[in-house]
Amino acid sequence: MSMQTDEFELGAEKSDGEHVQHCRNGQPEDFRFLVRRYQGVLFSFLVSRLRGDQSLAEDAAQESMLRAFTQLRKLKKPESFQAWLFGIAGHVAHEFQRSASRRQELAEEDLMLAAEPSRSAEELPLEEAIAALPEIHRRMILLRYYEGLSCQEVAGRLGMPLGTVTKTLSRAYAQLRQILQNNNEEAAVEEKTI
Amino acid sequence: MNCIECQESLVDHQEGLLDVTKRNEVDEHLAGCPGCRAEYAAVGQLQLELAARGKAAAGVSVVNRVMSQIRASQQPAPEEAERHALGRAGFWRWAMGFGAVAGAAILGTLLLTSPATKATAAEVMSRGVQAVRQLASVHLVCRVRTAPNDNFAQIDPKAAFVTVELWKEFGDPPKWRVEKPGRVAVVDGQSTLLYLKNANAALKVPRPSVAAFDTGWLHELADIEGTLASELRLKQVKMNITRETDASGAVKALVTVEAKSGLPEGDYLKNVFFNTADTRRLYRFDDRTGKLEALRVYLCQPSGDVPILEVERIDYNAPIEAEVFQLALPANVNWIDPGKPQANGSGYTAATPEAAARAFFEACGREDWAVAAKFWPLPLDDRFKQFLGGMEIVNLGQSFTSAAGPAKFVPYEIRMKNGAIRKHNLALKQHQGGSWFVDGGL
Repeated sequence: MSMQTDEFELGAEKSDGEHVQHCRNGQPEDFRFLVRRYQGVLFSFLVSRLRGDQSLAEDAAQESMLRAFTQLRKLKKPESFQAWLFGIAGHVAHEFQRSASRRQELAEEDLMLAAEPSRSAEELPLEEAIAALPEIHRRMILLRYYEGLSCQEVAGRLGMPLGTVTKTLSRAYAQLRQILQNNNEEAAVEEKTI
Repeated sequence: MNCIECQESLVDHQEGLLDVTKRNEVDEHLAGCPGCRAEYAAVGQLQLELAARGKAAAGVSVVNRVMSQIRASQQPAPEEAERHALGRAGFWRWAMGFGAVAGAAILGTLLLTSPATKATAAEVMSRGVQAVRQLASVHLVCRVRTAPNDNFAQIDPKAAFVTVELWKEFGDPPKWRVEKPGRVAVVDGQSTLLYLKNANAALKVPRPSVAAFDTGWLHELADIEGTLASELRLKQVKMNITRETDASGAVKALVTVEAKSGLPEGDYLKNVFFNTADTRRLYRFDDRTGKLEALRVYLCQPSGDVPILEVERIDYNAPIEAEVFQLALPANVNWIDPGKPQANGSGYTAATPEAAARAFFEACGREDWAVAAKFWPLPLDDRFKQFLGGMEIVNLGQSFTSAAGPAKFVPYEIRMKNGAIRKHNLALKQHQGGSWFVDGGL
């Protein structure tokens, strides 16, 4: 019997959309749940954008979250909170990098040489691929890897049977690989065109 | 095993969730199938990359910094402070377990006059929220009608009250400890530990958890601010207020909240656990400070309401000694790995719940502890063996279920070694892979 995991409710945990709605309805403390949910993957994304500077990435993560909170009313699709947050974080990373560059040009050169990311600039960061997943798949990946929960704990947190968690994770892996592969193929086509 | 079956089992295999038989089948298939081996390697590589990213981000926490800046930006001007509206997170799961009464904020803006001798119930609750904002720590001393050795969520209106104590330091991650006579759970900021005193057994989850070991509802209770705010967000809730003056002349506001669990009447687990119970909550606030001083929870039953929980003492922001969050275990403690259940039900994966119950009881009857252990998730100690050894099955009924969870319940009647008859319902659950284990009801 196959489980229709995409139709599952997210158990005891509220969805991104519900938290966004609560924040908009005068419950700003609900934003803490979104911060907790996405701080790990956001940091990881910013580390790659800021050429490995973890300290700068942490500051940028804080700034990105604050900007997201103040701009929350502009978010049109609350279920796409992570992708929207990454859009904001991309701008923040760009600003931080320019600012750091102006202040510390020589030092930054050293940093870039020392901490150049191993993957190519064209390659889609894994975190952006996660943002492109359906919400239930994304939540499972975040809980399993960025909050470090076991599959049993993920099942408990989301109020799902363990078998559903592993089946959904299996689908999430397949989708992630597909997204990354599609992006690589597109990047290869772009290179040839250029 | 074919390729489809193999690939469906890859994640369970990589997570170590398969029983020995299934794992061997997958291994055998992988050894002879290059396609599935490649798939296995690709998924494994992705898992490694995700784990590395997660590990690198594990120490990062911007929650407190972000939220303190948000709070600062939300502070009203001083002259508006007394009339600031409620708007808080948190949820009171006792009444929301099945989504029946979860709802949006019902309050809008409240005018809060202080002291609140004429305030409505909702206004007193709102003031209670404001009075405990940004707690550093809380210590609760409660009395609960529960079996002393049963899990933390269990309630029994016929049981005597036992003391349940909770200490919590807020932070990221939080530290907390919950203790009742037969068991103690501790979150030290790094891991979550449960010690079962009678079984001298311990379980450890290598990370802080707020849901492990049936302690979630207590964790919610410790978040006084969230608890009160969640009551205010409930729909279809009855709330009223009375006042009393104590011996010292201090005025106390008593707010009663009634809400339903959402489980249908007649459900086997209705009113068995805190999160499956219809309850009435009586909050006592000090009218001068606005702070919650005490809480009493009644189980609502057709036969009448029974008090099941009394929070007798609440210490706000009192220093908690570091030792409270450390657990010294006996040297001979039996460690249970929650990721590798003791019970594996090997050989019974295709059994019906009735057949699994019969196999378990028959094994106990003939004192075949090797077979009984296949179903029992804890170490089989002497108490267990004395209790069930030599018993006989009188009758086993058809299994049934509850809307509250995945367990199957098998009604049983057994004759104990001393001749006494015992009738109850054996709770059985299945591991991934279909093997059965006993989850309660003995």
